[in-house]
Parts: sequence; structure tokens; C-alpha cells
Amino acid sequence: MGTRRLVKSLDLTLIGTTLIIVMFGLVIVGSASTDFSWLKQLGLDMDKLQNSNVLQRLLWMKKEYLNKQFTWFLLGIAAAAAVIYIPYEDWRNYTKHLYVINLGMLGAVLVLGHTAMGAERWINIGPFVFQPSEFAKIIIIITMADFLANREGRLRNFKELVPCFVFVGVPLLLIMAQPDLGTSLVFVAVLFSMLFMASSRTPLVVGIFTAGLAAAVGLVWSHLKFGTWMPLHEYQLKRLIIFIDPWSDIQGAGYHVIQSQIAIGSSGFWGKGLLCGTQSFLEFLPIRHTDFIFSVLAEELGFLGALVLLTLYGVFLYRAIRIAAEAKDTYGSLLATGVTGMITFHILVNIGMTVSIMPITGLPLPLFSYGGSSMITNMMAIGILLNVHLRRQKIIF
Amino acid sequence: MYGTNMTVRKRLTLTLILASLAFVFLMGRLAWVQFVHGEELQEKALEVRMRDIPVEAKRGSVLDRNGKELVISISVDSIYATPGQVEDPRIAADKIAPILDMNADKLFEKLSKHSSFEWIERKVDNETAEKIRALNLDGIGFVEESKRHYLDPGLAPHVLGFAGVDNQGLTGIERSYDEELRGQPGRIVIEHDAAGRPVPEALHQYIPAEQGHDLVLTLDETIQYFVERELDNVVTQYNPKLALAIVMDPETGGILAMGNRPSFNPNDWGNEPREVWDKNPAIWYNYEPGSTFKIITAAAALEEDVVKPEDQFYDPGYIKVADRNIRCHKAGGHGSQTFVEVVQNSCNPGFIEVGLDVGIKRYYKYLDAFGFGSTTGIKLPGEAGGIVIPEGKATNLNLATMSMGQSIAVTPIQLISAVAAVANDGVLMQPQLVQEIKDNGKTIFSMKPEKVRQVIAADTARQLRGLLENVVAIGTGRNAFVEGYRVGGKTGTAQVVGESGGYVNGRYVASFAGFAPADDPKMVMLVVIAEPQGGVYYGGLVAAPVFQAIARDTLRYMRLPETPGLEKPTRPYEYVEPHIEVNVPDVVNYPADEACRIIKAAGLKCTTYGEGSLVRQQTPGPGAVVDGGTTVILDLAPATSRSGSGAVTVPNLRGSTIKEVGYVLEELDLRLVPEGSGVAIRQSYNPGAAVKRGAPVRVVFEPPGGSQETSPSLAAVETQKPEIIISPDIH
Repeated sequence: MGTRRLVKSLDLTLIGTTLIIVMFGLVIVGSASTDFSWLKQLGLDMDKLQNSNVLQRLLWMKKEYLNKQFTWFLLGIAAAAAVIYIPYEDWRNYTKHLYVINLGMLGAVLVLGHTAMGAERWINIGPFVFQPSEFAKIIIIITMADFLANREGRLRNFKELVPCFVFVGVPLLLIMAQPDLGTSLVFVAVLFSMLFMASSRTPLVVGIFTAGLAAAVGLVWSHLKFGTWMPLHEYQLKRLIIFIDPWSDIQGAGYHVIQSQIAIGSSGFWGKGLLCGTQSFLEFLPIRHTDFIFSVLAEELGFLGALVLLTLYGVFLYRAIRIAAEAKDTYGSLLATGVTGMITFHILVNIGMTVSIMPITGLPLPLFSYGGSSMITNMMAIGILLNVHLRRQKIIF
Repeated sequence: MYGTNMTVRKRLTLTLILASLAFVFLMGRLAWVQFVHGEELQEKALEVRMRDIPVEAKRGSVLDRNGKELVISISVDSIYATPGQVEDPRIAADKIAPILDMNADKLFEKLSKHSSFEWIERKVDNETAEKIRALNLDGIGFVEESKRHYLDPGLAPHVLGFAGVDNQGLTGIERSYDEELRGQPGRIVIEHDAAGRPVPEALHQYIPAEQGHDLVLTLDETIQYFVERELDNVVTQYNPKLALAIVMDPETGGILAMGNRPSFNPNDWGNEPREVWDKNPAIWYNYEPGSTFKIITAAAALEEDVVKPEDQFYDPGYIKVADRNIRCHKAGGHGSQTFVEVVQNSCNPGFIEVGLDVGIKRYYKYLDAFGFGSTTGIKLPGEAGGIVIPEGKATNLNLATMSMGQSIAVTPIQLISAVAAVANDGVLMQPQLVQEIKDNGKTIFSMKPEKVRQVIAADTARQLRGLLENVVAIGTGRNAFVEGYRVGGKTGTAQVVGESGGYVNGRYVASFAGFAPADDPKMVMLVVIAEPQGGVYYGGLVAAPVFQAIARDTLRYMRLPETPGLEKPTRPYEYVEPHIEVNVPDVVNYPADEACRIIKAAGLKCTTYGEGSLVRQQTPGPGAVVDGGTTVILDLAPATSRSGSGAVTVPNLRGSTIKEVGYVLEELDLRLVPEGSGVAIRQSYNPGAAVKRGAPVRVVFEPPGGSQETSPSLAAVETQKPEIIISPDIH
């Protein structure tokens, strides 16, 4: 196929939006990872900083994380290209293998896992630290789409839905065992967004979802009230519900959320300016270049910066949903739906967390937060979208 | 098929709408956090980042009622360093250390610290600060702080109190109005990062302190000065254990002056004995008021109509209450007299008769109404409430003695408030000290006279004032007469209740409570002199002249019009030799200091002759009956025998406690072999016997006869001997 035709068939809006989000993210990662001592080494102080222009500030940034993130992005482009290269219809032949590999990877984490922050999520492969649960999201979308497409028209009652829950349930439990509650919830979100699309009985899916949510809330409530059993560690539960009243544990679980709110709330419409987010560069805001990158953005670039980013995500998701709608077959449509569900869930939960309306789950902001596995995973997800989009008309190839 | 499926498109549209709604909700929440909560969170952000170093506020001044400064805060410099900005800590330390008399190495360490603020020295005097300022060193700064200065340290120190090193009020007004005087401390604010490291050259600002409020007192510096002057005279003349005077404006309850002896220097309170500055006797000293309290008895009796001024009384020299005879101070009694004369003569049986007629229930009603038994609530720390026998336990004997001011303990502030009520047409006023509170010259509080209650009718009060004017004009209070003014008042002399309960011979409280002008009183005064030395202890002789001196100057100072045609009492009240006969105590073989103390306690004077630590002989001899105030000459000898044989003279131990005996014998190098407990009644060697050093002396102790009551004052009344002379008061 000719390059020109290929380029013409790509969703350039989606690609453009992705690029802008990633570049935007790089700047904020740079700003977030620049701490005060770094600026001091450069002989800078608050006055000089505030009197400088954007270009100077970009140059003054600490480049370490920025460079790494850029490398991840390049690797992500390669991964996406690889994903695009193989027509998505062909993936269906390998879904069983992928599913098994996925279980193997997740099992390996439990055995070989590298513990960080009370959870085993990473595997060291050579110099790389690799987070299988990130890639598990992609695999579950690809395999689940196949699983559901095969059952098209047969998902009319609860009994027919049970195998779907088992299919997702096994890897989900492995991830919960790490424990990585956030990613487990992503699985649930992906499952339901795809079921919503695949089932011919929407009320059934919505009903199950509502019932499940109610059950979960009931379980937590009953645990808090009567001390009944919970499938979670105390610290997980605490993080899950701290957003309701972060000030109840200022030094503990509430600390991140409070610092984030202070950062966001103290910025105003225009923000404090790049590098001038005091909560961030004075290191009050924890894990700020990853989970709380949005707080840094909001502190330094204000409401306006946050609005711009959310608009970009809006455009991105609109294109993704269009791709789902325009897909030539159910499998393609379900793939796009899964990706949309995954990315939307990440965005809502991550930003919701920074403004204290969502639990602390450690989900990164797609394409924006610092992190290799996450960047590559999201780029692969975009590859899936582009793949589906590219092959929307059978006649092309 | 799938791509054109309308259901799927519908679902996707729904998804898009839901996602958009979620985004809008997120933006809404973001806006809420930023714009609604923004300011609050901005402050929180600052709070987390800033660490402050407090800078003391300048304490407010204290002024008298005419705006004269009594206490001010003077500025002093405190020196600090910003180590990051000190160019060469070594040189700086070497230059500064000698001026401040500090260790240069320690200072160098301080100046090289990785910190953004260090105090070098606080509150240095101007001269020193100037020297350091002249060095003109980078990174060395000055903060103005303040130090308390009492302009006239002799003036009302107990009332004003003082503030501690950190300018916190510790006693007196300084303490009770600490919050108003203190002000808002300022801050030196320094930005820190999350790890607590200071951020050099970041926000580093000085928020100046807010000065405290100024207090305008009801005190009048001039009247206070009269009080202090007269109290000084009292000390020179009588060297009392305690002397105090309070002057009050009866119409407002404002205290015009309040002085105490012994006194202290508030500028140097750290070097003054604690028991002197700790308590303000004018509001804390519980004492039996004696005859001054007869004002209260008279008020109750007149108000309850149990007596009229012209009622006839007969005083045979004593009165029988329950099974005891209470004697009048005048041997043989005052005979036939009217109530006017009873008051004039301060006749005990007369007042007891009146008091008994009032009855316990009604009498207590007036005690309560006049405010006895409870604190007045004057805003000074450490006020006592007096001691009143509970009404349920009071007997007629108690009532009889209370009627003449014994077996009840009051504080000076209670008594003057009560007398002021009589002066103020029967209305008891809340005693107050602060007239105004000013914030930078703007009045934020203004005292309003607070009426507590109407205790007696205005007519009764007027009638009583007439009786009391009579006391000064022709009665026992003549020494309080001020030429040109109508003065009313009452003298008082009461025995002091000793530590063991029961009244102590030779220790008295002389007092005078009075007011002027009697027809429309503008000032009320109470003078209390506790345990005057030198034999004279009568209120009319010791306290009334003090009243007279202060009142004379005060009335003139207040420019009150003189009443023409007032007749000066024909003769001043004189010390009518009452033939107070004292048994000279036996102090032979007592250590000299102890002996002198005993003699003084008995109301006699003491001089010594010769050298040595033991009394060899005394003149007049033990047991001789002499007039009070007579001098006893003590002939001293060394404790060891003159012959140097190593023999010592055994002292008289009878009546002493084990502790006292032990002390005396140890002095003499004798060994005590005690037997029993209580006071010594027998000793194995007769007093005066010469024994070898280190010889054992067997002493038999027995509990003192009957009175084991330890509770002071009130309990004492109930354990008195059947035949008591409760009051030696002759007024």
C-alpha cells in the first residue's frame, strides 16, 4: 500500500491531538521534576524566575525525567507502528495465546515482583523496570473484544454474561493480588464499556453494573459500620474513601489529596506560572510528576491550563468514539470501545483524585503522567484505534 | 452490518454525552476548588510553607486616671543573624563576641549554621546595640523589642504588678489585664520547603507586632503618692508587720489609691522576696476587723429598726452572753448612755446587745448584702474572700463577738466596699480599677459604675453617717479629724489570732475606716496597720492619724469645698493610760534573739547589754508586772561558762515545743532526751544550773492544756476560756 494512501487513511486529528497532549505533558513533567535545589544550582531565585520568559524557563528545567519520558514516547511510537502494521482482524487468531501469556506475566509479578509502595507491580528485565499490569490492559481489550464478538447476539441474559465475567475475572484477581486496585478497576471499566456495546440487552448490563456498584458501596459501608469482611487491605480501603473527607487524616492518607487541593486551589485562573508552582517545587506535592501531574499543571498554568488539557482529551475521545462507530466489524468496534473506556476511566479517576472527588487509586493520566509502561501502553492503545480506523473500509487493501 | 447498526450508534452517542458530562463535572469541581475555595487554600499553602519566628509586641502603657504614665514599655534592641548573608562568619563572630561578652567560637558556629534565622542576643541596651550597629556587618539585623519600665517603682507596685522576661503579666494589673496589655506579636516569616529547609531569599518578611492596649486606671497618682508617703511614715514609726491603705470613690467604686507595706521594686522584682510581691494584702489579708466592723452592726440594727440613736443603754462593764461574761474595754463600763454614745465610745456591751437584738438570721442577711464571706470581684489576681462562720453553726456567742468585729475575718477590700456603701447612701458598688482601655488612643472600653445592690436605705445610711461623724468629732476617732471637713469614721483595734489558734497577747491590728465629707462623701478610706511595734497599737492612735494625713491632703487635692464653722475637737484623742499590765516573760538563759522576740511579742521593748548569745539576767525580772511598752534590759553572757571549764548553763525550757527545745539545746551543745510530746513541762536540770557540755538533758513534754484546735481564727473563738476579754479595743 502506498505511503500517501496510508497517511491519508490515518486519523490525523487523533494523531495531532495525541502529539499535542504528549508535548504538553513533557513540559509539565519537566516542570514537576524540577525541584528547588536544582534551581539553586543554576543560581536562580524566585525573583529571577518570576521575571523570566517561558523559553528561559523551559531551558532551566531539569531534563532528566523529560528526556526519559521523550524516549518512552519514541518507543511508544514504535510500538504503535507495530500495532498498526498487523491488520487487527488477524489478531483474532492469537487471542488465546495472548490471554495465556497475560496470565503468565501477571503470575510472574506475584512471584518475582519488585515491591514498591506496598505493592508488587514491577518486573525487572535487564535495565528496564516493566509493569505487566499496564500491558495487561491492552491484552484484555484485544482478547475480550474477540471473546465478545464471538458471542455476538448471544449476550441476552445473565447466564450468557457469566463467561464474560469469568474471562476478565481471572486476570483481574491476579492484579488485585499484587495488589493493584486501580488497574483492577480499569478492567471492570473496560469490561462494562465493551459489554454495553456488545450486549443486545443494554438495561441488563446497566442493571448488573448498578447492582455491582451498590454491592461494593454496601460492602464498604458495612465494613466501616459493623467491621464485616472486606477483600481489601485497610490502607487500600482508606485510600479508596479518603476523598470523602481528606482532612480526617491530614498526615496520612489525606496528605496527597490535601496537598493537591492546596496546589490547585492556590493557583487561580492563570496559574502561578511554569516552574513557579510553589507546592510542587518545594516538594510538598508528592509523586507529582506521575499520579499528581494534573495538580502541577493546575497550579502552574491555572484553570486555563486545565481547561486546555481537558479539551484536548475531549477531542481525543470524540475521535475514538467515532472510530468505534465507523469500524467495519463488531470486533473493531469493540476494540475501539475498549480503548475509549480505558482511557476515559483513567482521565476521570486521575483528575477526580486530584480534586478529591475520586478515590486514590494510583492511575496515571494517559499520555501526560511520567512513566514508561503507561506511555507505551497508551501509544499501543492509540495504535489499536488507528488500526481499526485504517481498515474501516474493506476495499482499501 | 455492524457499522451501520443504529443501536450501536445510539449507544456511542450516549457514551459521548456521558463522557462529556463527566468532563464538565470535573471542570466544575476544578473551578470550585480554585475559585470558591481558592483563597482559603492559598492561605493554607502559605501556612505549610512558612515558618515564623515571633516578635514580641510592645506592651501597652498603664496610666493613672489623669493620664499620667505609671508603667511604660521602653524599646530595646534584639540582635539576630541571617547566617546565609553573613559574609565571613569568622570575622563577624570575632567582632561581635567581645561587645556582647560572648564566646566567639560559639557565635561563629551560630553564624555558620545552615539556617536562615538565629537570635544572637535579645534585649540588649542601646549602647551595646549601637556598637554592633556601627560594625555595619552584612546579615546581622536588629529587631525592636520592649522592656517594662515602672516610672515610680514605689508607687502601688502591688496593684500594678509586673511582667516577666517575655513580657507576660505575672502579678497585679499586669496579670489580670495581660490579654489587653499584651498586643499581637509580630513575626519574621521565613519560607521553608517540605523538608523544613529554609528557602534563602525566598519570601522573608517582617510583620511588625501590634502594640498592646493602654490601661487608664482609676488610681490617682497624687493620692497614691499621699498613701505611699504616709505608709512610709508608719513603717518608720511603728515598723509593723503589715500596713495598708485603700482610698475609694464611693460613688463609682473606683479605687483611687491602694498601698501596702512591706513593698517592693517592680523594676527589680527578681531580687525581692517572693512573699512580698506575691500577694497584695489589700485584697488578700484576712483579719478580724475589730471595732471598725461595728459600722456593719450599727447599719443592720438601724435598718432593722431594733435601735434608735436616742435609745438608752447601760454598760456595767461586762455583758453576759450564754454562760460567759464579755468585758468592756473600759474597766467599770461606760454606765448609762444613748446609742449615739455607744457608737462614740465603741462600747462593747452596747454593740453586743444591739447585735443580739438583730438576731443571727437578720445579721447574716446584712453580712451577705455587704459582701462579707465572698470576694468582691475586683480585677486583681489573688483575692481572698474572708472567713465567716456558717450561719447554721453560728451561736449567740458568735453573734455577740461578731457584733464587735471579732470571730469574723474580712479582707480590707471587703470592708472598704462595705463602708463605701454606707457613704454612698446604702448602695454597694463594685470596686473597680480600670477606667478606660485605649487602643492607639481610641477608647475601646469605658468603665461604668456598677451597682451591686442597695444594702440599707439611704436614710439609714445618712443617720449612720451622722453617728460616725460624731465618733470623729467628739469620740474615739478624734485623731482622724480634718480641719475644714466633716469626717466620719470608726477606729478598730483587734487582737491577732495566733498560729496555734487563740488570741495572742501583744499582737494587734489597728485600723481606721472613714469617709469625708460626711454629708456627701467623695472619698472613703481604710487604714490597716497589723502588729505595730513599740507598745502603741490602738486604732485611734496609730491608724486614725494616718487617715487624717492622707484625707487632709486628698480632700484639698480634690478641691472639695471646706465646710465653714466646723469645730476642731477640743483636745486630740490621747493615749489614755489603760494600765495594760504585762507580765514580763522569763527569758533568762534563753538565746538572745529568741529572748528579744518573746519580749516584743509580749508588747514590751528590748535592749541588750554585754556580749554573748545567752541571757544571763533580765531587768525587770521575770513575772514583774509592768506597763506595756516598758523596756526590758537583757544582760548577755556567752553560752559557755566564764570559767572555761567546758560547763554550760541550762536554759529555761518550760513551755517550749520539742523543736524549740531541740534547737536551744543544740546551740548549747547539750543533748536532748525527750519524753512524751507537746510542750516542755519539766526538765532534769534546773534553769541556770551549770552542766558539762554534751550532757544529756531529760525533758518531759505534755500536750498543752486542752486547746489542740489547729484551725486558726474562727475555731479559736469557740475554744476560748469562759471568762474572756475578747477585745482590748477601747474605742
